[in-house]
Amino acid sequence: MELMQWFFMGVLFTLSVFALAYLSMVVKLEWYTWAGLITGVIMVLFGIGWAGASFLEGYPQSGSLGLAIFSGGGVVLMTLTWRHLVTPALSRHAK
Amino acid sequence: MSDEPDKAKSSETQGTSNPEAADTLPGPEELLTDPTRRRFFQRVAIGGGAALTGGAAAYAAARISLQGLPEQDYPQIDEKLFKPKDQRDVVLTFVSSKTLNEKHPERNEQYKRLQKKAFDWLNGMRDMYSKPWDNRKPGYTQMDRALQKAGWHPLEVGGSRASANLQPNTGLHSWDQSDLEKEQYEFESKKAASDAIKSAARVFGSVKCGIARRDKRWDYDPLYDLENDRELSWEKDFPFEPKTVIVLLTAQDYDCISTAPAWTADGTVGDSYSQMGVKADQMAKFLRGMGYQAVSAGNDLGNSVAYGIMAGLGEAGRNNQLIAPGVGPRVRIAKIYTDLDFVEYDQPHNWGITDFCLSCGKCAEACPSNAIPLPEDKDGGYGFEPTYEFSDEPGYTWNNQLGIRKFYSDAKKCYNFWVENGGGCGACIASCTFNEPDYWHHWFIMAINPIAPGFLHGLMAEAHPAFGYGHTNDPKKVIKFWKSGEGMRTNLDLKNNIGTSNKS
Repeated sequence: MELMQWFFMGVLFTLSVFALAYLSMVVKLEWYTWAGLITGVIMVLFGIGWAGASFLEGYPQSGSLGLAIFSGGGVVLMTLTWRHLVTPALSRHAK
Repeated sequence: MSDEPDKAKSSETQGTSNPEAADTLPGPEELLTDPTRRRFFQRVAIGGGAALTGGAAAYAAARISLQGLPEQDYPQIDEKLFKPKDQRDVVLTFVSSKTLNEKHPERNEQYKRLQKKAFDWLNGMRDMYSKPWDNRKPGYTQMDRALQKAGWHPLEVGGSRASANLQPNTGLHSWDQSDLEKEQYEFESKKAASDAIKSAARVFGSVKCGIARRDKRWDYDPLYDLENDRELSWEKDFPFEPKTVIVLLTAQDYDCISTAPAWTADGTVGDSYSQMGVKADQMAKFLRGMGYQAVSAGNDLGNSVAYGIMAGLGEAGRNNQLIAPGVGPRVRIAKIYTDLDFVEYDQPHNWGITDFCLSCGKCAEACPSNAIPLPEDKDGGYGFEPTYEFSDEPGYTWNNQLGIRKFYSDAKKCYNFWVENGGGCGACIASCTFNEPDYWHHWFIMAINPIAPGFLHGLMAEAHPAFGYGHTNDPKKVIKFWKSGEGMRTNLDLKNNIGTSNKS
């Protein structure tokens, strides 16, 4: 199970790197936009790692909270960054 | 350069579903020379490489952090208050000695008067394990009692059960040096000697091992032979002049100690006492086999926590126990006094644990006898002398370890609860924020602890129970423990290798 967790995190990490590299090709973003997106990815991965370890050690409460706080926080951060910083940049780029 | 538009064109057709377009798809060589693709993969490589480098750097920093920083300030001593510690003033010695009880009736009288309790100090120790079980009450059943007694049994068979109450010179911890080899093994270097000692400790099953200089400040002086009511002198009675103290840590089982203060928890407490008796005896025998005099000790001879700190194994916690990174306070400490001094000594280290304890106090909240100071108490309970209730009453603290800057708890109230409970407690171990299983996220918290500011310490202390850890007095944990043996036939996770659940 633990190996599966690390494998899954590796896949997510690789996809994230590809996605961010692709984004850098299509639009020029400010440094704080990149900071928001990268921090979000790290938080999502951290939350998954935390939750996996917590479930394995027999503490589902810790796993659930870890997912909610760390991964959930990461998703919220990425969503806000995307909506308020990436989307306007994409619109400007399209014009 | 001239063919680039064609390549761009072919690149655009890649995503189409037109079968005819397949003929126009670029080959591998064309793809590699496509500047857009090259740039994309360059960025993937740079981004991924940067992330991996950052991750590796963070991992390395965490490993360094877990080594701890050398601590120059330990111990902080108030010379006006500090004096050598008479073993007779240690609660466990006092409650195990009829003679001492007869000599100091005022101590019992004062405790009864101040705490408003009719409490029999001496018979409490005797009656502790004879309290009747209740098979309807998880943690206090016949099975839990049996585990408790089985845990202590090897130490009893080895003749050293009394060493837990500080009786010196017992079976496993004998002072006898008659098996000392005449020829002394010569080590190539001090480091080789230290490595050899620690390798042997690993074989014997210790979870950690450190080496400290013998320090008279931590030795009980005078020593006291409870069984024969005799004062013992380091100079006249001890078989040699010790130069070095080797400290071995034995881990207790995580799931078992989590059941505290139920009798179940005493199963792993007793077992670790037995294990530390065996390991320390083996280490002493190993040293004597190399021609160096050695005497092993459990709780007897000296202050185990202080020696553990001096050997660089951990810091002192609010619960007055040694808190070792990775296992927290879930350890028992054995010592080996030896005249071998050609070794590389360890030194005290700082992981920010004592600082964390100043903001935490979960052990104090969990303590059934309110024996541990709370962060809200005067100076957070941290100082050169006790500040707990009645500590200003003359004679109440028995001048035990006054003058060293640390947390002071009321050991008499702690012991009182053991007797009422019918077995040891361990709630301060189970509730400790540093008492965690061996998983990466707990190591991560441990690694960032030294650089975390005070307010974050408080937040982490609150997050610990919120995430489901550290709850005590919970019958569900007893039920969970008694199922933790599932899968032990094959033991694919190597459960309990170092006393933690599921993972070695």
